[in-house]
Amino acid sequence: MIVSTLKRLSWALLLLAIQVLILDQVHPWGYGAPLLCPLIIITLPLGTSRSEALLWGFGVGFVADIFAGTSGISSAALTLIAFIQPPLLQLMAPRDSEEELRPSFSAMGRWNYLQFIALLLILHHLVYFALEGFSYFHIEDIAISMGVSYAASLLLIILVEHVRNPKK
Amino acid sequence: MSDFIERITAYVHWALFLLLEALSGFLLFQYNHYQGSVWFTQANTAAAKVHEWEAVALSYLRMPAENAALVRRNIALQQQLDVMRHELALAKVDTSMTQKALEHQLEGMTLIPAQIIDNSVRKRDNMLVINAGSEEGVAPEMGVVNGTGIVGIVSAVTPHHALVMSILHSRSSISCRLRGTEYFGYLKWKGGKPLRAYMDDVPRHAHIKKGDAVETSGFSAVFPAGIFLGKVAEINNSSDGLAYELEILLSTDLANIRHVNVIADQRKEELDSLLAQ
Repeated sequence: MIVSTLKRLSWALLLLAIQVLILDQVHPWGYGAPLLCPLIIITLPLGTSRSEALLWGFGVGFVADIFAGTSGISSAALTLIAFIQPPLLQLMAPRDSEEELRPSFSAMGRWNYLQFIALLLILHHLVYFALEGFSYFHIEDIAISMGVSYAASLLLIILVEHVRNPKK
Repeated sequence: MSDFIERITAYVHWALFLLLEALSGFLLFQYNHYQGSVWFTQANTAAAKVHEWEAVALSYLRMPAENAALVRRNIALQQQLDVMRHELALAKVDTSMTQKALEHQLEGMTLIPAQIIDNSVRKRDNMLVINAGSEEGVAPEMGVVNGTGIVGIVSAVTPHHALVMSILHSRSSISCRLRGTEYFGYLKWKGGKPLRAYMDDVPRHAHIKKGDAVETSGFSAVFPAGIFLGKVAEINNSSDGLAYELEILLSTDLANIRHVNVIADQRKEELDSLLAQ
């Protein structure tokens, strides 16, 4: 229990560090940068209680917000997907999966996991960019920002998941 | 009874969800009042320290580009100086007047050098963090400039860091004028490209052409008059059709700056108290 929590914590810290130190400094043509933080919530294992997932979502978002100067935006978006992740995982995980299944390509099947990621990520991005551009003049700019960031985030997450890909 | 409690606990995550979303909303709202607490921003001590280490590491990588820009700037200034000298030599009027005016303008102003340790240009409301704070003499509402133009206005300070509202911020509004004329307006950023800002309220009878220089007006106490902001790129009608709205190509590329200066104007308090009356 403690070991798995520590593992998850260091995983979260690693992704947060990549987000804050590298990705937040990338501005592809001035448009949205990739967001890696949602992966922390996406990979919460099966059987995580919904309240625990919510605390993870808010906590990760809070730290990401402080370092990026986006108070409240990441925490709102990540709390939302943390609310949806447990039941969605229950729905999409294979019926015969073990109790603490950690979502991955090998555990859930390539296509299934890709859908799982894409769905949670689009929800996250919709909330994130809606809140960020609350009083946006150029609605097309925010749409482009969201599109660019979504594509970049999705590619990056798929890449990270392929590198990580545990056998179990 | 136990059935009742069970039913309640089964829905506790709903309550937690709403609570955390409300908390996020509160933070979002709180942050919009950017003069408020700096503790939930990237200027708080812990976050600023991390960004500072990162900035030091990155500054080595960016040094060549920064150097090249400084050299270019230096050459441009030298050329300008040369032209000015030539003009002054030709001018028959008493040149000590010009000198006096310049000295008067910069009188009582000190420039506090600082480095940017955190920056963004991709958001709707962009903020920067610099590594100079109240101990170095930085205070809220001071102007921040670099060699090529204006960067922003200090919005909050901690002892060794300051949070700066970038000109790429929805609330940023810089009083400016067309160089060589008295037509003034406000420079605003509407999102999107970090080099594209707008100057509104320019009267329709003003003679403007593309390429005209835009500079600070000096009407506010934040920036002295005559700091270059950028050039007119497009001349459009304002939404109400009563004035021009100029699209300005900014001279400062905020996506690529490191060294800045904070303008500490000792006469600012005087002017502020006058404006407040």
